[in-house]
Amino acid sequence: MTTGTSLWDLFEQKSMSRRSFLKTCTALTALMGLPAAMVRQVVEAAEKKALPVVIWLHGHECTGCDEAFIRSVSPMASDLILNMISLEYSDTLAAAAGEPFEHHLQETMKKYAGQYILAVEGGVPTADNGIHCMVGGWPFLTVLKEAAAGAAAIIEYGSCAAWGGIQAAGPNPTKSVAVSDVVRGKPIVKVPGCPPIPEVMTAVVMHYALFSQLPPLDSQGRPKQFFGNRIHDTCYRRPFFDSGMFAERFDDAGAKAGWCLYKLGCRGPETYNSCGNLRWWNGLSYPIQSGHGCIGCSSKNFWDQDPFYERLPNIPVPGTNANADMVGAVVAGAATAAVAVHAALSVAQKKSRQTNEQADNVRRPEA
Amino acid sequence: MKRVVVDPVTRIEGHLRVEIKVDEASGKVQDALSSGTAWRGIELIVKDRDPRDVWAYVQRICGVCTTVHSLASLRAVEDALGIEIPKNANYIRNIMAASQNIHDHLVHFYHLHALDWVSPVEALKADPAAVAALQNAVLEKYRLPLAGPVELDTDAYPKDFPKATTLYFKTIQDKVRKIVESGQLGIFAGQWWDHPDYNLLPPEVHLMAVAHYLNMLDRQRELVVSHVVFGGKNPHPHFIVGGMPSSISMNDMNAPINTERLAVVDTSINLTLNLVNYFYLPDLLAIGDIYVKKGYVDGGGLAKERVLGYGDFPDEPYTGITNGDFHKKLLLRSNGVVENFGQGLAKAEYFNLEGKDYADPAILAEGVEHSWYTYPEPGQDVHPWAGATEPQYTAGKEWKNLDEQGKYSWIKTPKWRGKTAEVGPLARYIIIYTKVKKGLIEPTWAEKMIVDQIEAVSKVLNAPPEVWMPTTVGRTAVRGLEAQLWAYINKYYFDKLIKNIKSGDTAVANTAKWEPATWSKEARGIGLHEAPRGALGHWIVIKDGKTANYQAIVPTTWNACPRDDQAGYGAYEASMIDTKIKIADKPLEVLKAIRSFDPCLACATHLYDVQGNKLSIVHTDPYIKL
Repeated sequence: MTTGTSLWDLFEQKSMSRRSFLKTCTALTALMGLPAAMVRQVVEAAEKKALPVVIWLHGHECTGCDEAFIRSVSPMASDLILNMISLEYSDTLAAAAGEPFEHHLQETMKKYAGQYILAVEGGVPTADNGIHCMVGGWPFLTVLKEAAAGAAAIIEYGSCAAWGGIQAAGPNPTKSVAVSDVVRGKPIVKVPGCPPIPEVMTAVVMHYALFSQLPPLDSQGRPKQFFGNRIHDTCYRRPFFDSGMFAERFDDAGAKAGWCLYKLGCRGPETYNSCGNLRWWNGLSYPIQSGHGCIGCSSKNFWDQDPFYERLPNIPVPGTNANADMVGAVVAGAATAAVAVHAALSVAQKKSRQTNEQADNVRRPEA
Repeated sequence: MKRVVVDPVTRIEGHLRVEIKVDEASGKVQDALSSGTAWRGIELIVKDRDPRDVWAYVQRICGVCTTVHSLASLRAVEDALGIEIPKNANYIRNIMAASQNIHDHLVHFYHLHALDWVSPVEALKADPAAVAALQNAVLEKYRLPLAGPVELDTDAYPKDFPKATTLYFKTIQDKVRKIVESGQLGIFAGQWWDHPDYNLLPPEVHLMAVAHYLNMLDRQRELVVSHVVFGGKNPHPHFIVGGMPSSISMNDMNAPINTERLAVVDTSINLTLNLVNYFYLPDLLAIGDIYVKKGYVDGGGLAKERVLGYGDFPDEPYTGITNGDFHKKLLLRSNGVVENFGQGLAKAEYFNLEGKDYADPAILAEGVEHSWYTYPEPGQDVHPWAGATEPQYTAGKEWKNLDEQGKYSWIKTPKWRGKTAEVGPLARYIIIYTKVKKGLIEPTWAEKMIVDQIEAVSKVLNAPPEVWMPTTVGRTAVRGLEAQLWAYINKYYFDKLIKNIKSGDTAVANTAKWEPATWSKEARGIGLHEAPRGALGHWIVIKDGKTANYQAIVPTTWNACPRDDQAGYGAYEASMIDTKIKIADKPLEVLKAIRSFDPCLACATHLYDVQGNKLSIVHTDPYIKL
């Protein structure tokens, strides 16, 4: 899996200083969500680790994840593509096409067998032998299984690869599924989101590039660093929720004042993602900041949890339009208690959503 | 006669396969097939859902042109429900649409198309000092110093000039050399770098373009800042039926939109102008000039015969599309069809398209003669409001060659009055140029700029519009011209937005008809948009507060469609047949022609209910005769 070059080699080749190298490593450590004490290990890894070979496949998708990826700033996508990984196969960015391109894929899979990272963007249609998505004259299903066999690890990039995505929403005409539904026995990391925040994806790749292993995952296979919080937990509008101050309609006084969007259908209380921490475009904004509730795009089956403008069930809402002084006075008591109850209830509420899902399947029978 | 397959065609969105039959002696392409090789069924998935949600689902038709399906969908729902959006929402949507289109054009030119024209291998032969000199010469010669009506210029001076120094180009060249010499070519691997077409440009142009390819990879993200500010993210920013979610307030410090947020957008708009004026257009015209002067004026295909557009950028709010009000308010009236532009302006014929025409089955319909679908009445084309989707897959599980006599694509064949047509930037420019030059319309400032641009380029290339426009080079060049126009349209609507907020109007949403209880029991709507790749239309039927039927005819359906024995070839196929190639096994010229359309295949899906009947999906098993 080596191209023989480490991150430090590249800094040296470019006559960049040791100081800037260490700064980069410190930034990477923070970005990967690792404690400051880990900087030394990151530096060691960056000095020695060779660039990982990446094969990037496209199934049933819209290329939104690719587009997100090239908007990454930390690290810049160009640096990642040209310096930090060796991207050997990509439908979108590769120069070649057709037979020579497919030939290169075969060569790469052979040369780096058992060593390359397989990044997959898109769901996998399985109906009728997978003929709803053909690549190079073969069903994507076949291509995916072949590439997965020799992969060291697989990244399911985006909600389509991770959960099946939009085309898997009822009635799922092409029987699209997640990558991990058809590929087994490989380390797999899910990076859901429609699309994911670009830095989440680039940081996962960086983590692998530096440590030769996937980042620590949660019970659903997502990197804990980025999917450990609900959007609600770190939402900058959270104080308004706790104070019972809500936008009741789009563009009303509450919407203009930036109050909580829960009543307009926000899925923040049950969605695990980094939108509240990282935000998009280096912290420029995220949907809630721009006035629209979260639609839960990193959650499993979120497309079938519509309608999007209906408020979530079973979320205890603090009293409306509470006086700020009053809230301040009881903050250590009532508000804190509400938060705790709120968190505990999200488990029960998830369960009730699952029941709804089953009901939804009944609503959308497959003909 | 040799049959050559290219699959996958890369640097596109979605999945595309082309096959050509070449006469090896003459290099002439005798026949060509274009096949969309994936089908996702999103229009079926939105059935029964809340029409207020549909924009979010259909947005995922495409993550490259990430706003366009939302805009068409919102317009369709608003048209059906009779919702007029506030001025600010109209301006903001126009800014987002323009930013989207410029970003798309720029990324397409540099990252999805450039490697057909320029080669990192050739760039190694360049003299960096000569490249620095060339950069300045190119700016001098090929910059089109046209400007739109900019009222509020907050830029002290252009900040983002190309770095026209020897050191800069040498650094880039060294970097590229390291990649090439390592043998680990990454994204540059496997291309036909030995193709003779890569010798058409001098090495200095190659190095300049490769440097800008890398530079633009880092800058492109800043062009769609308006999506992040107004819609929360990109790709897939957020919208709402009735306007925009991004409330404006100059009084509340937590407002989604305030002075600081607007300033961020302003900076992005200024940067866009600079990138287009100082990078994109000069690079493009420098390359195009060399190609045209060397006689590369092929690949026009269907553009010479028939182009089609819908028009866009409503200057002020409108009451509906089907009632005709939308088309009365447009800044860019590319709605219509032009036939025979390839024979010169005098012989070009113009046909109007507006309001009621989009509801008329005699004017717009789709056929499935060579598509993997079947219709209830075989051979009968249908209007999108009555479209049907029953898959009828006929190829096997592995493909050697597709059957041009039978069905061979997941894309349907849309028709205007029974004929195929090309859509896209080139179509828009041909239509507006024809309308203005024939005196059919009094041009708006934007339409006048289009005519000025075309005439300026004709002068540079020393060729009349009908010679250089309907070609592979022309399709690519016009995309760049349009990026410049839209950069000024962006600025123009930003000025209008500021002026309107200044007047005291901060409304961004009309929620009077937010609740389904306020809707009529049954309603139909049409949503139109000029997307980066051309005319986009969405058709919706709403019944009892739910989406009863949904259909989209996307630009790529027009361009990438399979042939129709009555209507003729689709635009991709016609352009390939119109292209001469040098080496049959390395049909770089054909890929160039296809990529000049900015191909985008994930959108070309088709599904529809038959006149409100229960939808059925047929799972076809190629091994079992059903």
